[in-house]
Amino acid sequence: MMQTVRRMELKADQLYKQKIIRGFCHLCDGQEACCVGLEAGINPTDHLITAYRAHGFTFTRGLSVREILAELTGRRGGCAKGKGGSMHMYAKNFYGGNGIVGAQVPLGAGIALACKYNGKDEVCLTLYGDGAANQGQIFEAYNMAALWKLPCIFICENNRYGMGTSVERAAASTDYYKRGDFIPGLRVDGMDILCVREATRFAAAHCRSGKGPILMELQTYRYHGHSMSDPGVSYRTREEIQEVRSKSDPIMLLKDRMVNSNLASVEELKEIDVEVRKEIEDAAQFATADPEPPLEELGYHIYSSDPPFEVRGANQWIKFKSIS
Amino acid sequence: MAAFAATAGGLLRLRAAGSEGQWRRLRGAGLLRGLLQPESATGVAAQRRHVAHFTFQPDPEPREYGQTQKMNLFQAITSALDNSLAKDPTAVIFGEDVAFGGVFRCTVGLRDKYGKDRVFNTPLCEQGIVGFGIGIAVTGATAIAEIQFADYIFPAFDQIVNEAAKYRYRSGDLFNCGSLTIRAPWGCVGHGALYHSQSPEAFFAHCPGIKVVVPRSPFQAKGLLLSCIEDKNPCIFFEPKILYRAAVEQVPVEPYNVPLSQAEVIQEGSDVTLVAWGTQVHVIREVAAMAQEKLGVSCEVIDLRTILPWDVDTVCKV
Repeated sequence: MMQTVRRMELKADQLYKQKIIRGFCHLCDGQEACCVGLEAGINPTDHLITAYRAHGFTFTRGLSVREILAELTGRRGGCAKGKGGSMHMYAKNFYGGNGIVGAQVPLGAGIALACKYNGKDEVCLTLYGDGAANQGQIFEAYNMAALWKLPCIFICENNRYGMGTSVERAAASTDYYKRGDFIPGLRVDGMDILCVREATRFAAAHCRSGKGPILMELQTYRYHGHSMSDPGVSYRTREEIQEVRSKSDPIMLLKDRMVNSNLASVEELKEIDVEVRKEIEDAAQFATADPEPPLEELGYHIYSSDPPFEVRGANQWIKFKSIS
Repeated sequence: MAAFAATAGGLLRLRAAGSEGQWRRLRGAGLLRGLLQPESATGVAAQRRHVAHFTFQPDPEPREYGQTQKMNLFQAITSALDNSLAKDPTAVIFGEDVAFGGVFRCTVGLRDKYGKDRVFNTPLCEQGIVGFGIGIAVTGATAIAEIQFADYIFPAFDQIVNEAAKYRYRSGDLFNCGSLTIRAPWGCVGHGALYHSQSPEAFFAHCPGIKVVVPRSPFQAKGLLLSCIEDKNPCIFFEPKILYRAAVEQVPVEPYNVPLSQAEVIQEGSDVTLVAWGTQVHVIREVAAMAQEKLGVSCEVIDLRTILPWDVDTVCKV
């Protein structure tokens, strides 16, 4: 799964450079252990919400690479019908895909309230980054979750840089797992998938038993820059990126472990690689060839309204019908 | 299917409807290639794509302010900030990523020139940035806060509307945060989507106590920004991001002021008044030329410049 996410992100990088993907694109290669490990520790009926570095999560939450790449290229086959793009992908029990930094955390607390209310033993994973950890609304969400004992797992994906600012320069305390104060926190090695999975299991059990929220800090790293318009080397050295790649790459770590414990042979893993590459190629083909959504759909889904109404376009003679 | 033209001057894809003849005529006229077409004029939707844009027309070189230099919008902003920090020893600039120069290069070189205690980064917290700025301003120092994109100004909305705007009023003029200026890149750019394209001046336009300013060009921007910084009221200065590189003009090197709350009549006319601000001024200028040529209508083009408090007299003057 991690290999799929890695290849998918690299493919997206390629497509962006070919200008087949436009707009914004925030890649998460290097952070595969986080999305795959988290998914492994929870059930499909649990809920997850994150910010804009969401392609990996969209995949682990159940969408196919085809749908993801088609959404990136803005085509009909995409998960948001081509209207969302990179930052706005959604799936069942996956609430996105959110652009404004930190705004998704109170949402996650709300989803957790619904989980508690419905009584189906579900939890909500609410992710945010090290940059977002300094937003005020996160602390408001901590307070509400702790006060009402919501089954919310707050997860800080600390990849050491908030866009171009390193954590030391942005945060008075870089112990993000402690920021919850009255909420217990775990610090997890986000490059080791088994570590992430076990920590998630522990956290989910904690929440499901009604003890209230818990915080997890996943210490991870991203190889690409913040987004496709960021080369990623003006605020960190190439040596640092290389070092992480060679010492703590999540896929490499798992591979070594599996091979060394005789759980899989190198050939079997190579086969997986080949299959994944093929899947991604097919998906990229589809994403490039699929037609774009028709222009009439531009105004759809603004409101939920019974009779369709008209929405003014870029000037008053252009009207888009809005149906929902 | 209706075709649609550029609005606040972004690079938008244009799908031409049937009427090819009209296209060719307009292209020949060398005017705005985007076409404003009433729905009735559409034919079969030919899925051709055109990039519609406006052309920035620089204003003539200003002679009355001394030596000028060719600058684009972000360089004009840097020049204004440089002048402010030089003149006013209490002035500080802060915001996300301003230290290395800012994501739009508006603050390049200022930290090296004036020191890290005058040009510094803040963490990712807009509400905190503005609140903090209000605090600095209340002590009397000049605070120039940057919000990285106007789309992110909303966490700070309460601080601006409830705290900054009403400070002088509620303290009976004992205190004020007049030396606060908030700058933010503004407006659509073509690829910004939901969160890098917004023009939120309307949200602030009905809040007494603050001033909202949107420049149309480098020369205007530097003068208006200097006026905002020196104005004794909290000001929000929106900078059209599509013009950062696209707009190039001769701008005076020395500081100068463009008055606030004064609209500028860019082109006199007798039949209809067109009022615009920011990027749209350039689109409207081209529209006025088109209207004159195609319809024989004489349009008066007014750049509002200050949205709040706005210059009612100039707009309404016969």
